[in-house]
Amino acid sequence: MSQLLNSLLTEQRRGNLTLAVLSQLRTPQYGYSLVKRLEDSGITIDQSTLYPLLRRLEKKDLVTSSWDTTESRPRKYYVLSVYGENVFQTLKEEWKKATNELFRLLEEENNEMD
Amino acid sequence: MKWIDVYLQEVERRLPEKNREDILLEIRSTIEDMLPENPSEEDVKGVLQGLGDPVKLAHGYSEKPMHLIGPRYYDTYISLIKMILPIAITISLITLVAENILGTVEEGNVITMILAIVGEGVWRVISVGMQVFFWVTIIFALIERVDIGIEDEERRSPRKKWTPTDLKKVARAPRRRSISQWEVYGAFLWTAIWGTVYFHADQLLGIYENQGEELTFITPALNQEVLLSYWPGVVLVIGLEIALALYKLLKGEWSKGIMWFNTIQEGVSIGIFVWIITDEKLFASSFINYISDLFQWNSAQVENGLAWRIAAIFIIFSLWNIIDGFIKYKRGVKKTKLNHEFVK
Repeated sequence: MSQLLNSLLTEQRRGNLTLAVLSQLRTPQYGYSLVKRLEDSGITIDQSTLYPLLRRLEKKDLVTSSWDTTESRPRKYYVLSVYGENVFQTLKEEWKKATNELFRLLEEENNEMD
Repeated sequence: MKWIDVYLQEVERRLPEKNREDILLEIRSTIEDMLPENPSEEDVKGVLQGLGDPVKLAHGYSEKPMHLIGPRYYDTYISLIKMILPIAITISLITLVAENILGTVEEGNVITMILAIVGEGVWRVISVGMQVFFWVTIIFALIERVDIGIEDEERRSPRKKWTPTDLKKVARAPRRRSISQWEVYGAFLWTAIWGTVYFHADQLLGIYENQGEELTFITPALNQEVLLSYWPGVVLVIGLEIALALYKLLKGEWSKGIMWFNTIQEGVSIGIFVWIITDEKLFASSFINYISDLFQWNSAQVENGLAWRIAAIFIIFSLWNIIDGFIKYKRGVKKTKLNHEFVK
């Protein structure tokens, strides 16, 4: 039971994580600053999924990256590209629509239970 | 710091070559970001716990598929194995029979001989089964990793957005144009049979005579050495035939591409077949003598006449296959046009 629940939750979060990450990359972020921002917003993340995800987003040209070596330790910064920004806006709208619908659906079910 | 180094080492050896340094540098900088100043061992362990299993982390960066054969090719893979396995087993058993029964007719312990053949048969079936499984799997694992033309086709069929009008296309593909699995199966079987006969011609093709109770193999028809010296051409034809059968399996109906492939394959086959059969040294002299005795011809007549007669039959069959391909394709096109008019 709990194993099934875990895998369902992981699946559910995976899609959301991409959206969450894109939303935070409108300003340049490095790995850990991104983790902190997401965790501060209460989003559960699997770090071993997050860092590879950034690479994949970069490979698909949604984000660009650059090494900043001016500080004490080098950090890799990621930021949304113009293309990424467009994709993000579309995803956001779709997500809003979908959650609204889902929310209504779940409310109806709640009312039926009462 | 030792913890971090070992952790990074664990990640490193599982990373793809490309970008390895860059990824490691990023992970190290992330770990250091997460650590407080003058971290204790517990701090380090906590951070590494947060990053999770190094194996999992490294796999996240992997660009190659983490499976041997994915959903895209799985169906084709399974149906191909099901198709080839029985063919391969049949062929290996035919070869076994050819080698044992036709080769040596020994009086003596029949039961021992039968047992030996059955034992050998079981062994061959197992090893052929393994071979088929191994090679088909290797080929599909490679296809999975190399994007080739077939992928477009696959993407077009199941991934293209489906609409009910697609149903019409299915209904439209006339029975005469569509390629059944049996046709592909037949093609594989045919290739396998003639391929086997080619490599065992000295044991299978020849003069048999009914001497008393049993059929005795008197003389092989062909010089096996001469025949086998043409193996690159034969292997080319076998390869073309298998490729065509696979192409048919993937397409499922006669398309322009299949039609042309079919024409080329038949053309190459004619060329190579005629080239082999007109070789002067191909027919065994004992065979030529036997035939010339039988029909009272002189041996030169037999040699020339026989070769070209066989070649003619072969050419007629090949031409028929080419024309048949054209007809099957044209029928489909005509049907399609009619259908379009009907829709208007």
